[in-house]
Amino acid sequence: MKSRLQTIAAALMLTATVIATPAFASKDVVFAVASTFTTTDPYDANDTLSQAMAKSFYEGLYGFDKDMKMIPVLAESYEVSKDGLVYTLKLRHGVKFHDGTDFKADAVKANLDRVTNPDNKLKRYGLYNNNIASTEVVDDYTARITLKTPFSPFIAQLAHPSTVMISPTALKQWGNKDIAFHPVGTGPFKFVEWKATDYLKVAKFDGYWRKGYPKIDTITWKPVVDNNTRAAMIQTGEAQFTFPVSYEVADVLKARKDLDVVAAPSIVLRYLSMNTQQKPFDNVKVRQAIAYAINKQALAKVAFNGYASPAEGVAPQGVEYAVKMGAWPYDVAKAKQLLKEAGYPDGFETELWSAYNHTTAQKVTQFLQQQLQQVGIRTKITLLESGQRVERVESWQDPKTAPVRLYYVGWSTSTGEADWALRPLLDGNSWPPKLFNTAYYKNDKVDADIKGAQLATTGAEKAKFYKDAQETIWKDAPWAPLVVEKLLSAHSKKLTGVYVIPDASFNFWEADLKQ
Amino acid sequence: MFQYIVKRLLGLAPTLLLVGVMVFLFVHLLPGDPARLAAGPEATPETVQLVRQDLGLDRPLPQQFLRFVNGVAHWDFGRSLRTKRPVATEIAERFMPTFWLTLWSMAWSVAFGMTIGIVSAVWRNRWPDRVGMTLAVSGISFPAFALGMVLMQVFSVQLGWLPTVGDDTWKHYLLPSLTLGAAVAAIMARFTRSSFVDILGEDFIRTARSKGLDERQVIVRHGLRNALIPVVTMMGLQFGFLLGGSIVVEKVFNWPGLGRLLVDAVDMRDYPVIQALVLLFSLEFIVINLVVDVMYGFINPTIRYR
Repeated sequence: MKSRLQTIAAALMLTATVIATPAFASKDVVFAVASTFTTTDPYDANDTLSQAMAKSFYEGLYGFDKDMKMIPVLAESYEVSKDGLVYTLKLRHGVKFHDGTDFKADAVKANLDRVTNPDNKLKRYGLYNNNIASTEVVDDYTARITLKTPFSPFIAQLAHPSTVMISPTALKQWGNKDIAFHPVGTGPFKFVEWKATDYLKVAKFDGYWRKGYPKIDTITWKPVVDNNTRAAMIQTGEAQFTFPVSYEVADVLKARKDLDVVAAPSIVLRYLSMNTQQKPFDNVKVRQAIAYAINKQALAKVAFNGYASPAEGVAPQGVEYAVKMGAWPYDVAKAKQLLKEAGYPDGFETELWSAYNHTTAQKVTQFLQQQLQQVGIRTKITLLESGQRVERVESWQDPKTAPVRLYYVGWSTSTGEADWALRPLLDGNSWPPKLFNTAYYKNDKVDADIKGAQLATTGAEKAKFYKDAQETIWKDAPWAPLVVEKLLSAHSKKLTGVYVIPDASFNFWEADLKQ
Repeated sequence: MFQYIVKRLLGLAPTLLLVGVMVFLFVHLLPGDPARLAAGPEATPETVQLVRQDLGLDRPLPQQFLRFVNGVAHWDFGRSLRTKRPVATEIAERFMPTFWLTLWSMAWSVAFGMTIGIVSAVWRNRWPDRVGMTLAVSGISFPAFALGMVLMQVFSVQLGWLPTVGDDTWKHYLLPSLTLGAAVAAIMARFTRSSFVDILGEDFIRTARSKGLDERQVIVRHGLRNALIPVVTMMGLQFGFLLGGSIVVEKVFNWPGLGRLLVDAVDMRDYPVIQALVLLFSLEFIVINLVVDVMYGFINPTIRYR
């Protein structure tokens, strides 16, 4: 009996000392984000969030800084051959993977070979296979990538958040599928644990190549679906950073002294595409009339609570080679006149679909309906649920019978370069089901410009092609450009160095927590 | 009794098979191509084709069905199209949080609801009844998501007493079970009251009273036992519903439960997960019904089974 009491006493004392000693305060940060991660493998992810989270442990050859400027990361420089086919990359020295493997050219080869091999069935296969013919190791710190055809935006593609360097040793050990559960990269944090229902945790990697970083010890990524719940978590201090913040709670959070709410510029463009192959939208005057009929400034206020601004071009500012045209003017009289000239003095009836069914999309479509009503265009609104969207729009097989008319949708150019802002949405070869030209727009001049820019070798030449393409598109008005969103995030004032970048991904390697 | 249970359990297999066939057909009738959804908005047609092969969706439908049935027979529900993890793991991880939350919600709401119901019935049309029924009507009409948000705002954000999300400690269970149980408590209260009011008008109650029994004895021993039968039926039904995971409460409190899994799965047309979940829910209902039937026998020994 006595001995047992002694043990208990000893245990109590031990606990007391543990509690009393101010343990080395570790800097633990919780990020509350909007949805569950689909995978940790950026080559097999199609959502921005999973790729943003994967930046904890992975880095690419190139990347983006917080303003979406392309910067070299694991590569130091590159050279392109005269014919634009061969890219020679010089790699950074002294970089180690979490498993101790040195980062060398064989890693570049292993990763690019993996994604271009159709047997691996990776979701990002299409992004690479179209252009990479082969990857070779020249020496330890030089890799050579040969393309099938010249493709000038290639380096931007290497900066895409899915092009990361996975440890070749780990790839061999875990294989193509299981690597998603055991990510090993060169990033500032090592993977610790992924409880799919609850959180994903990463911890400081001591051998990180940027000396003095990371400054925090752990990050716990918590997927929390509900907007209000995420807002509650940042108020209680259970999270230090949250994205996105809904417009409704932004003011509540702004009123708190310990929180910062940030509205960051984005490259998320919202537009109303019109099926140019179908009457009455085959008439350019009708399309322009619709663009004139919408008050974009009011739309930004009403549906986005002011956290958006009227679109000023075909590609949003911040995308490389985007041309600024100025917002499309709001002019009801002009819209009515154009409709009269087109032979629709009394307007017409049509369908208005939205690619999303959330509250903001609901407000947007109702606003559009009301605006179009003023020029006599009567619309029937349908908010498509994801499966319907795929069935009725994205995988519709025959362009001639495509049921889409007016379609409210958005696009974020994840490579940060004009090619990916124009080609998938407006090239004549990108009609669904291939890509997302939901306007079924085809203009040979635009197609030639896009092709020309791909083959161009100098920046100036590319800029010329893209300028011409964007100006032509603007006049043809296959879309009514609406707004560019702002990205709302909130963080504790103690937390610094975490940024939401314009493509809605995050930069956080500089993160620090004051205590 | 034992024979009866065995017989009922044997009846399980054909029911589940039927449910399996229906849910398989239903799921494949849903609009939307899961390969396209999984491949994501930026994918090219070749990529979609690769994803389709990867998910086994390029095979003919009967073949897919045989694979599904064969898998289920071997306790293998396939892999989630979305996360590529085994469906069994996905469900197992979420089952216990949902189960415990259901249990706690049921426990307090049944105790609370029945008490209110009995009190209301005994003091019918007097103030305890009015107060109780006002509570019950508010419980039914106040939407769960609003209640959850108000509770979280008050107890987590303003007072800072309770955590907002997660399921690690008993504290995490308080708000979600309160939110989830509110409607059930209200239903139980109204149900108990009406059933009790009926019973209290029966002849045997008058007899019990006239032979001079203490009023408490009349209500607890004679009334309660008989009033319990419909109440237990209702309890079983509610339990079954809650076990399916509450979508609203799970969303508000970020509860790692089955409701959200089902919503996510339907959203991404994650066939294997939808199929397994519907099978699980059917199984739960069948088992709960069986338990309820057996409970009748304990409550009222005059009920016999063959």
